[in-house]
Amino acid sequence: MSDRLLAVTESVCPVCLRTVAAQRVATGDDVYLHKRCPEHGAFKTIVWRGLETYFQWGERGSRAAAPPVTETPVERGCPHDCGICPEHRQHSCCVLLEVTQRCNLRCPVCFASAEREDSDPDIAEIEAWLRLLQRHGSPVNIQLSGGEPTVRDDLPEIVARCRMLGFDFVQLNTNGLRLAKEAGYAKQLADAGLDCVFLQFDGVSDGVYRRIRGANLLAVKKTAIMRCADAGLGVVLVPTLVPGVNVGEIGNILAFALARVPAVRAVHFQPVSYFGRYPAAPADRDRITLPEVMRELERQTDGMVQASDFAPGSAENAYCSFSGKFFVGGNGRLHAAAAPGGGCGDSSSGCGCGLPAADDAAQRARRVVAGQWAAEAAEAASPDTPGIGIASFEAFLANHRHSFSISGMAFQDAWNLDLERLRECFIHVVSPDRRVIPFCAYNLTSASGEPLYRRPHHECALA
Amino acid sequence: MTEKNAAGPELACAKCQQALVLGKVKASYLGNSFEVDLLRCPGCGFVYVPEALALGKMLQVEQALEDK
Ligand code: SF4
Ligand code: SF4
Ligand SMILES: [Zn+2]
Repeated sequence: MSDRLLAVTESVCPVCLRTVAAQRVATGDDVYLHKRCPEHGAFKTIVWRGLETYFQWGERGSRAAAPPVTETPVERGCPHDCGICPEHRQHSCCVLLEVTQRCNLRCPVCFASAEREDSDPDIAEIEAWLRLLQRHGSPVNIQLSGGEPTVRDDLPEIVARCRMLGFDFVQLNTNGLRLAKEAGYAKQLADAGLDCVFLQFDGVSDGVYRRIRGANLLAVKKTAIMRCADAGLGVVLVPTLVPGVNVGEIGNILAFALARVPAVRAVHFQPVSYFGRYPAAPADRDRITLPEVMRELERQTDGMVQASDFAPGSAENAYCSFSGKFFVGGNGRLHAAAAPGGGCGDSSSGCGCGLPAADDAAQRARRVVAGQWAAEAAEAASPDTPGIGIASFEAFLANHRHSFSISGMAFQDAWNLDLERLRECFIHVVSPDRRVIPFCAYNLTSASGEPLYRRPHHECALA
Repeated sequence: MTEKNAAGPELACAKCQQALVLGKVKASYLGNSFEVDLLRCPGCGFVYVPEALALGKMLQVEQALEDK
């Protein structure tokens, strides 16, 4: 097969993490990232299987925008100057706060290496992070993340603090264990102002959970969703897709989600990426790329969802994600809705809750129940049936078509990192030393497991 | 479906002291109107929305409308 150069970009050497030139090269229908380190040799990694969508995604063009506030100077070049540096090309849309490094599970695929003991940042420190974000001006969505945030007993207080400081959208990334086990916990978080739960949800069989998370968790997930529904918390299911483990469950995951609409608002797929120690480069067969996820969605739903229903995400680099808006018809089937527009939170690309950003204000208002209604006397005549009659509400609800989002984001690792994508990253993390770092830079580790940025909290001098 | 008003004792308008009476009310939200039968004050037009309704069906309707 003849190779065809599609684009030049930059990446890092997976061994020493130095910045190196890279090329996107098509071989047959597949797109690979090629790069060479003067010291550690050449590397080639699959990034996109499907030239047609590669070109379609390219057509969207860049939504680049300079971040309003930058804190770190350009010194060593991307990705070594994060904080955000002036070279960055996108605002913060979602900001992750890692409120703990502890976890109540031991997952082989986890980003955070989930240490059992650690000192969590205290509320004052978290408040300092929030104030840092306030200085950045534009409103951001807060994702409480970890570790597993729910191991902290003061999590509701943290949620309330975010809301108090004017952050209008707060989401929780969780494995669902505590939500399931502790009745009333979901309600407590909702009352504190939590908007939505991003629930790790890797499949609809316990075998998948045992392989990816090391425990039987399906019952836990079901209970967690039920509890969120009762508390009025929207749920987004977040499967990590691992070839050979759960790619075959994509259709069943979607069916499971649709059976739980409107409690479940979206499914957000995350193809596995490789952090930590990998003495040998992960094989291409151990990667699933975004176009394959879209094709599997079409195949595994017998065409109810079409690959052509999807478009690149909103503000991030086009090759970072796909996103589709649907509505659930009366028969429980999905129908494609309008193509996603631009802007932060408009897609559910790991950010937002499947609701358009414009609805945030409305969501706030929702807490003043019935306060937004206008009422006037209709006709003087008494109702035929004595009693409060709300048949028209019920008729409306019966016919209402719930909206539903399906999206995916391909996180980058040391092998497939494309700095053009990274510079347009809009999902950021506040680091323990109070810098704002693009997510895929923050989690980057070399083949030997050396992190580019992430340091365990206890190694950092906290104020 | 019609829910019987099981409120029991007559409710009065806090402002006008008049007994609330059942009547057709046009309730609208985000430009959508619904005709429902609710208790109104014949004096000031105040409409009484039972909490269960406000936090139940009515909230669901709100969410559905916002969700569009
Ligand atoms: S990822 Fe963004 S903030 Fe980090 S070094 Fe590159 S351009 Fe700067
Ligand atoms: S760089 Fe990573 S985190 Fe940022 S938008 Fe792209 S895939 Fe998502
Ligand atoms: Zn190297």
